[in-house]
Amino acid sequence: MAKITINGIELKVKNGTTILTAAKSIGIEIPKLCFIEEINEIGFCRICVVEVEGEQDLVSACNTEVVNGMVIQTDSDDVIKARRTTLGLLAAKHRFDCWRCPKDGMCEFYDLLKANDVVFEEFGPGIGRNPEKIFGTGISQDQSKCVLCKRCVAVCSEVVTAKVLKFRDDDGINPIVSPTPGLAFDEAGCIFCGQCTKTCPTGTLYETDHIKKVESLLKDQNKKVFVQVAPAVRASLAEEFGYDIGTPVRETQGKMYRALDLLGFDEVTDTNWAADLTILEEGTELIGRIKNGGTLPMFTSCCPAWVRYTEMYKPEYMENLSTAKSPHMMQGQMIKAYYGKKYLDEKPENIAVVSIMPCTAKKYEISREEMEVDGVRDVDAVLTVRELAKMIKRKGIDFKRLEDLELGGQLAQFSGAGTIFGASGGVAEAALRSVYEILEGVPLESVEFHDVRGVSFSKDYEGTIKEASIKLPKTNIKLNIAVVHGGSALKRMYEILDAGKKQYHFIEFMACPGGCVNGGGMPITNDIPMHEVIQRRSQSLYDQDSTDLPIRKSHENKAVLEAYEDFLEEPNSKVAHKYLHTHYTQKGFTKE
Amino acid sequence: MSTESQNVKELFESWILDAETKLSEQDLVQNMKSYLVGQHPEICGKCTPCRDGVIRMEQLLDMYTNETATLKTLKELEQLTYNLRSSRCSVGLDIGKNFEVVLENNYNTLYQPVKKY
Repeated sequence: MAKITINGIELKVKNGTTILTAAKSIGIEIPKLCFIEEINEIGFCRICVVEVEGEQDLVSACNTEVVNGMVIQTDSDDVIKARRTTLGLLAAKHRFDCWRCPKDGMCEFYDLLKANDVVFEEFGPGIGRNPEKIFGTGISQDQSKCVLCKRCVAVCSEVVTAKVLKFRDDDGINPIVSPTPGLAFDEAGCIFCGQCTKTCPTGTLYETDHIKKVESLLKDQNKKVFVQVAPAVRASLAEEFGYDIGTPVRETQGKMYRALDLLGFDEVTDTNWAADLTILEEGTELIGRIKNGGTLPMFTSCCPAWVRYTEMYKPEYMENLSTAKSPHMMQGQMIKAYYGKKYLDEKPENIAVVSIMPCTAKKYEISREEMEVDGVRDVDAVLTVRELAKMIKRKGIDFKRLEDLELGGQLAQFSGAGTIFGASGGVAEAALRSVYEILEGVPLESVEFHDVRGVSFSKDYEGTIKEASIKLPKTNIKLNIAVVHGGSALKRMYEILDAGKKQYHFIEFMACPGGCVNGGGMPITNDIPMHEVIQRRSQSLYDQDSTDLPIRKSHENKAVLEAYEDFLEEPNSKVAHKYLHTHYTQKGFTKE
Repeated sequence: MSTESQNVKELFESWILDAETKLSEQDLVQNMKSYLVGQHPEICGKCTPCRDGVIRMEQLLDMYTNETATLKTLKELEQLTYNLRSSRCSVGLDIGKNFEVVLENNYNTLYQPVKKY
């Protein structure tokens, strides 16, 4: 134990705690910019500096450990002056166009400038640190706003472990953060999970804009524009309009549908429907592989970031990937080829589909070459939750006062299995519910598989591998299931597979820690720890599954079964393969 | 450390340590600036006070050479010099300490030419 004094308050803390944590324990919030707990304690920004008695220089609170007898001042004149000057220096090299910045009010840098009353004189050419912009299909970077906090680099190497973004300080005076110099994100090995866009304190890294595309689609009189909403979106969209994290879905889902309707979309559908469809396709594929001795373990293909990871870094495992497309691509194709024809008598070319996704990698996914059937693209545009919220605000819709809208369309009927897709472990659980019943032929008594649920992080950012094995008494098969989420867990899983010690049948992969509820396109939550956000959002999805929905298994979803009767014949049929399945090719990249 | 920066540093240290040295305004500003420029190869670019502060200080010294310096310029120079105390490593800290000595010894020389209105 160490005895220290902070601003005149004496306290005892454990040896090895940093000044920042010690101050936090007595309610003193030291401002910080580059700090992320455990991942990025580097002291680059020098905003958290404090005065320690006996030291002639100011020390950074985020990475200095307390010593017995330390006397610390966090708000002396010197400290505040230094903080202001440093912020002024950063501000002078930042391009301010806050009113149209993609960060949209969640800018930590702006908040710091405001809180510290910073006055600065712009020096340099007035175009920011570096005028360059780097584009990619999923995420883009505007370097004129970079404050060189290195948070994205830490997240990219520690959380995602893709190591695409790097801090390049060959020229110490003008360092930059970028992927391989001269290349777009697509060529540099980025998997577009979008965690960096969430961690960036400014608007430097952002999702590639699709709002303009959607607005022009909505204006087009000749096109019917359909919209579909991903499972995880309903658990988070309301946060942008002042609701608490984890607000029950039943309070906000109807409002969300209404808002989409008011935005001018011709018909609102729900990706949960296609999630049920995915389960039937993937589940049948899994059963087929088990019975016919196909490549096992089978990997889910719902997460495009993860699919891209495999294609680039582990191409030898491409055969293990399920050939089923991800749910929103299925839904897009089904809207165009089946629903539009049957109910509206429209040609597929005259229909456009917009997906609302919690993900930036989906933006990349729709640009994949093979994602089309007979020249009709599956999905035309993808909006992240943040972008949708921006559009709703722009249109002047008061979200809180909206009346609920019930969807009556065929492609908006879903089961509880579809809705839990948004949480880590959801796909596996939904698949288990169906696979068990199809193989066994008897109804499943308890549909909840708690082994695959939950977010028990050893460390917040690492993600986890969850394992479960389910015995099927009649067919005498023991299904070994694993659920993997988070970039470093992906790597660990591959090490386990490479060693070949464990036999799995089915592995669910999600590139973001916690699954889609913590995706790269979700609303930004600065103050609440990551695991709590994941916990609360997934709980609201699980609650919807257990209390609001009468049907909880995908193969009991009548709307899906009807689609099979009318159009797809049966799971994994030839028609289904044409519209709902895809193939994978190895992707190259250049990294230093 | 490159030889160029080493030479500049030695020169600088030889005259800052001697409080009696009185340089003319022109020489002083030139020397201060060439010292800062000489430090560029040492700067790693990681922390803000040193990376951006040094560049700003050079610009402020340029204002002396252009005869556009005002009292505000001098104040900002002082502030940035003091701010180098919060640097991450000894490169920034050293520059800061050296400049503090220079400002202390030669405050008059720097105060004379500024426009006071």
